[in-house]
Amino acid sequence: MELDFSVAWTYLPVMLEATLLTIMLALVTQTIGTSIGFVFALGRTSRFGVLRFAVWSYVWLFRGTPVLLHLFFVYYAAPLFGVTLDALPAAIIAMSLSSAAYNTEILRSGIQAVHKGQIEAAEAVGMRYGRIVRRVVAPQAIRIVIPPYMSNFISHTKNTSLASVITVPELMLTSQMVYSSTYRAIEILSVAGLIYLVLTSCLTGLQLWLERRTSYEARGMSRRRRRQFLGASDASVRMEA
Amino acid sequence: MTQAESPMIEARDIRKTFGTFQALKGVSLTVGRGEVVCLIGPSGSGKSTLLRCINHLETPDSGVVRVDGQPVGSVENNGRTTRMSARQVAQMRSQIGMVFQMFNLWPHISAIENVALGLTEVKGMSVPQAAKIAREQMERVGLAAKCDAFPEHLSGGQRQRVAIARALAMEPKVMLFDEPTSALDPELVGEVLQVMESVAADGMTMIVATHEMGFARKVADKVVFMDDGNDVEAGAPDQIFDNPKSDRLQRFLNKVLA
Ligand SMILES: Nc1ncnc2c1ncn2[C@@H]1O[C@H](COP(=O)(O)OP(=O)(O)OP(=O)(O)O)[C@@H](O)[C@H]1O
Ligand SMILES: [Mg+2]
Repeated sequence: MELDFSVAWTYLPVMLEATLLTIMLALVTQTIGTSIGFVFALGRTSRFGVLRFAVWSYVWLFRGTPVLLHLFFVYYAAPLFGVTLDALPAAIIAMSLSSAAYNTEILRSGIQAVHKGQIEAAEAVGMRYGRIVRRVVAPQAIRIVIPPYMSNFISHTKNTSLASVITVPELMLTSQMVYSSTYRAIEILSVAGLIYLVLTSCLTGLQLWLERRTSYEARGMSRRRRRQFLGASDASVRMEA
Repeated sequence: MTQAESPMIEARDIRKTFGTFQALKGVSLTVGRGEVVCLIGPSGSGKSTLLRCINHLETPDSGVVRVDGQPVGSVENNGRTTRMSARQVAQMRSQIGMVFQMFNLWPHISAIENVALGLTEVKGMSVPQAAKIAREQMERVGLAAKCDAFPEHLSGGQRQRVAIARALAMEPKVMLFDEPTSALDPELVGEVLQVMESVAADGMTMIVATHEMGFARKVADKVVFMDDGNDVEAGAPDQIFDNPKSDRLQRFLNKVLA
């Protein structure tokens, strides 16, 4: 059999359009999953046992069952609650729920890696919970969490292909439709693979950039902070400016 | 009793249990304005727990803490005790400086930002205002040249001096030191004790849990010996070190001064 990539060229616009849907699905569900995961991670580290248990149960349930099952379940179970969901909203809900479970665990590990003594030091100067989270815990947790968070983001992006099973016309389903009508599976799948690689490479790049940006000891004080805290009298600031 | 006459710190009959272990068995302590009290005693005797009850990092099971006449943690009203809101506790803590054995600096910001954070976050100061005070405090602890250094790049002694500057910047009414030199290499102990001595000389009311008997003898107005969750003996340094009354204190001194 000879390969013929001209077919892939013809269908590239269709596939790129599907890629936009893949990107949208990945970004939206990752964002929702991260937001819920952040609140849940705080709950998971709370001093209230009931809250800790509730969040733990959520993670246990959604991390312990396949995303594929969540997709089917949300899609087919919605009518029981008197609503019919289109494929895309169902996929967004299902993938956000599962993303939330993973992100809860990832963010919790970051929060718990911040030494208790630092939180006590913040309490001792009179800082309140919200400020401590924002100024002391989050900046450090973010840095610790970047590698596992981005790894998960990458898997999550690839997992959007599962939404094809409930007929969301994202990249995977679109590829399947194209090759089943053109019989050029190898070519079309190669192109789809390349597109996924480009997407995940962007995320890898983002990870590197974030890691560099948050390595505070290596970078020292930013120029803006120098100016704010050390004042204009500082010679090094004047030279930089 | 007016505020001016009341002692600066008053802890009465503080009890604290961890699980089934009684860490404090009814400890009382009074510190006058501008006084320096040193807490000495063997490891596990409850020194840290007492300090942490005073600024309410630990909630005592019972007992009353007052700083400058104001209750910390819980308020008594007609015999009923009600707990203070988180906001009130935070407000009281901002007036109580604390220095920890392990420094507990925030590693993600520079030294001067460590000193300034409480001012912007708790006192609501603008960054320029906070930075000005933070610079002054860094100078006070002899670290004006290290303002932009991150904690990781400072020696233990320098870190502890930043931690002291951080506490002083809040203009607290009292300062609590929990074994501030125990984690330091011997050659770095002196610089920290020197700063503490100058803070004491400026009239700060201080409680210092310490194993530095030389410092206690020199700087303390009163030394309190704790053992097994009790305040066993208290008195002027001369009395405690040269004329210990209880067996337990004699045994402790024999061990540490040997
Ligand atoms: N959070 C806690 N949970 C359980 N036990 C604790 C806790 N904090 C302190 N303790 C126990 O209470 C006792 C008193 O501890 P504390 O830290 O107050 O002693 P200390 O006099 O400061 O000793 P050191 O000189 O070693 O610092 C110790 O036996 C300790 O194990
Ligand atoms: Mg201690």
